[in-house]
Amino acid sequence: MEVEDLKEKFLKLNFDEAEFHVDGDDMVGFALACGETAARYTDPADPDFHATPTFPARFHGRRMLPRDIPLGGKIPLDAGKAVMPQKKIRPGTKLVGRSHLHDIYEKTGRSGRMIFLVSRMELFDEAEDLACIVDSRMVVRERPGE
Amino acid sequence: MTIARFEDVEFGDDLPTFDPDTGMENVRRFAKAAQMMAARFTDHEGAKKEGLAGAMVPGVMSQAILAAMIHRWAPDADLVKIDTIFRAPVMVDERHHVNGVVTDLNEDERTAEVDLTVTNDAGETRVLGTATVKLP
Repeated sequence: MEVEDLKEKFLKLNFDEAEFHVDGDDMVGFALACGETAARYTDPADPDFHATPTFPARFHGRRMLPRDIPLGGKIPLDAGKAVMPQKKIRPGTKLVGRSHLHDIYEKTGRSGRMIFLVSRMELFDEAEDLACIVDSRMVVRERPGE
Repeated sequence: MTIARFEDVEFGDDLPTFDPDTGMENVRRFAKAAQMMAARFTDHEGAKKEGLAGAMVPGVMSQAILAAMIHRWAPDADLVKIDTIFRAPVMVDERHHVNGVVTDLNEDERTAEVDLTVTNDAGETRVLGTATVKLP
């Protein structure tokens, strides 16, 4: 599993597309459970009511990685998540999430090599405006000698 | 103390910490809203059957809790980016604390960089991250 080979074959190629409906009740439940207090996130009657900035991180496509990526039978572990909001998301919006591998890199430590895969989902609204970018970082660990 | 404008922020400022509700009832509320009703999040016994020590707070929830802290500190701020690393499980029904500190300021962009952590009562960091926050 060579990183440069993986990059050449898989980087920047869309491997998944999925639709999501933004529900106002879910927006409120999400915000309140996380301790938001501002009316623009918690009160549907607020004139600026919209989803909290990290709300789109809850959307998952049908796949997290390309179907045929060779990981040596290893299951990638969740290593983190980044969210970059681009536009306010209102209730009732239909979003389309398109996913590609945005980056692949490795780190080597005493316990062996770790390969990081950054799966980027770009969420577009009905006007095809980019509403949010969500990066999911996954890590595959190798043991010394593997 | 809340922040209204970029000029109110100083390098090294601590954000007001708060203890999020990581009890089972609230995590189930989150899981329902996020459509993440999996046993590993909503049921201790179910999580143990999956080989876990108990139910875990979803990473997405920990991230949103950190965002909520930023909004409590600077109610009119816009989150430009938040990046979190899930270092260790945040266990449901254990007490946790969220903390933030301003580590950089960009006058031209009117943004602040904030380092973020979720710690437990033992002082162990379970989630860490950074955020870029744009202020009025």
